[in-house]
Amino acid sequence: MLIKLAWRNIWRNRRRSLIVLTSVVVGLVAIVISDGLSNGMIGQMLFNQINLNISHIQIHKKGFNNNKTVKNFISDYKKVDEVLKDDSSIKSYSKRVFITGILSSANNSSGVNIYGIDPEQEAKVSIIKNSMIEGSYLTKNKRDIIIGKKLAEKLEVEVGDKVVAMANTLKGNIGSEVFRVVGIFKTASSEFDKTAIYIPAGTEQNMLNIGDKYYEYAIITKDYGKVDETQKYLEAKLGNSFEVLSYKDLLPMLIYQIELYKETMWILNVIIGLALIFGIINSMLMSVFERIREFGVLMSIGMKNSRIYLMIVTEAFIIGIVGTIVGIVVGLLLEIPLAHTGIDLSFFSSGLEAFGIGTVIYPVLSIGNIIMSSIFMPFVAILGALYPAYKAIKLEPIYAIYYV
Amino acid sequence: MEILRTEKLEKTYQDNGLPVHAIKGIDLGIGKGEFLVIAGPSGSGKTTLLNLLGALDKPTNGKVFFENEDLTQKDKNGLSSLRLHKLGFIFQAYNLIPVLSAIENIEFSMMLLGIPESERENKALSLMEELGIKDLAHKRPNEMSGGQQQRVAVARAIVNNPTVVLADEPTANLDSVTAGHLLDLMEQMNKDKNITFIFSSHDKQVMDRAKRLLILKDGIIEKS
Repeated sequence: MLIKLAWRNIWRNRRRSLIVLTSVVVGLVAIVISDGLSNGMIGQMLFNQINLNISHIQIHKKGFNNNKTVKNFISDYKKVDEVLKDDSSIKSYSKRVFITGILSSANNSSGVNIYGIDPEQEAKVSIIKNSMIEGSYLTKNKRDIIIGKKLAEKLEVEVGDKVVAMANTLKGNIGSEVFRVVGIFKTASSEFDKTAIYIPAGTEQNMLNIGDKYYEYAIITKDYGKVDETQKYLEAKLGNSFEVLSYKDLLPMLIYQIELYKETMWILNVIIGLALIFGIINSMLMSVFERIREFGVLMSIGMKNSRIYLMIVTEAFIIGIVGTIVGIVVGLLLEIPLAHTGIDLSFFSSGLEAFGIGTVIYPVLSIGNIIMSSIFMPFVAILGALYPAYKAIKLEPIYAIYYV
Repeated sequence: MEILRTEKLEKTYQDNGLPVHAIKGIDLGIGKGEFLVIAGPSGSGKTTLLNLLGALDKPTNGKVFFENEDLTQKDKNGLSSLRLHKLGFIFQAYNLIPVLSAIENIEFSMMLLGIPESERENKALSLMEELGIKDLAHKRPNEMSGGQQQRVAVARAIVNNPTVVLADEPTANLDSVTAGHLLDLMEQMNKDKNITFIFSSHDKQVMDRAKRLLILKDGIIEKS
């Protein structure tokens, strides 16, 4: 009966209750949408970085990641091949020759990261093949090169134009090769498009005079959630002369950014919650002041203060629960279609591409966050009712009964 | 046997900083099954005395004993419990809970006692039938006349079988015929259930029904 009374009390001033309810719903929709967008952005940032060039795990010669010189190649790459072939948790891997150098056209030149790859292997670990917007992906032709759109614009080259790549060789000379641009790619990261170029691995090995050696193994595991396990297994198998790094080691800033995003979401939730608390306090106080005489009657018939307190808190809790249910339903109805179509933020494209996100954000629903919000809002509503309920039970029965 | 007793009961209010002595040292004893009317002109202190007897207000000085228990020594919860188990109240303005139907208003105080729902409903319906208001069971207060609301208020006041019912000007808002019916009802309850009724009223019809009449004037009992 107490719940029935609380429910009816809510609806005695329909307009006021609807306003409070709407504020809870809007708050919750804002949380669900912003949370989905945030998850989507974080997911896309990570997905893009992993699938562009980072992969889940990379193997180098010990010390290569901090000192990417031509001398730091993997001597015993056959051992790595054997270990990787025996590991059932690995889906695919690509061997890369990697060095920094300069790419020049007839018009300009630019510092670049030169990736020497086996086109077929690389297509299994990165999305570069699917990111081609002009021309074609690398073939077996040893003079082929693919470059990013931003770099093509800087060098003022098109598909079919010639470019020259230069880098330090193992002997300390400057090695160079002439290439013909066969394709131009565009990824979600403008920074990557400005600096990455791909050529056949054999050509780069010749240019650097390193024989058949490689610098980097890029590995994709079957289960993204078990990367740490695979990393530990490979470290144990390969020994101390190799460094086995997961994407978390390779992208420390991004991982920090993701953590920061999560913290920011909590701060946003708290801000929304605080705004709602004051709305609920105001509404519940008005409701209490309108019913002073009624509280007097309830006290006179023997209702204890604890029950009056509970009744007022229950009213706010019901508003919180109803608002949460409606808010989550509305939030999901808005978010589910957006999760498929995405939200086109091309207006901010330069900023987003600099972060490696892409211009279309696909919100991602997080069941955990929805559950947290489902607890958060009723909790906020209860907090908002504590002071008004305290005011109600502080009334003296005689004052309340004859209150006009 | 006295169930309610006062000793040198005093109540002083502050009105714009000035003390108003509403009750000035009243010694009173009320026995079980009395049908007592406290009468007197406006401002004589009859409602204040009723509220002190009903533990709704605290005396400035003196004591109120209910079944030999000093009410001035009880805390808020103790007084709530006393009102729930032993006392019933009827107000001039009926004071039903507007969002509850007639039967729910009557059931409410039973709910506070922890009586199961089915038992509550049966008891409430049986009492409503006794008071001739069964057909109002599912009506809300705003759908009932003043007389009907006051009958529901009477039902609410007596449903937990209280020892004492305190009624503050219960007929003030009713026409004389309705007031008469209501008083008949309360007389019947007094007779059948031996419930003590204490009225505060200056309605002649109420005073005429009194088995004992107290005339209050300027906070003291002028005639008993």
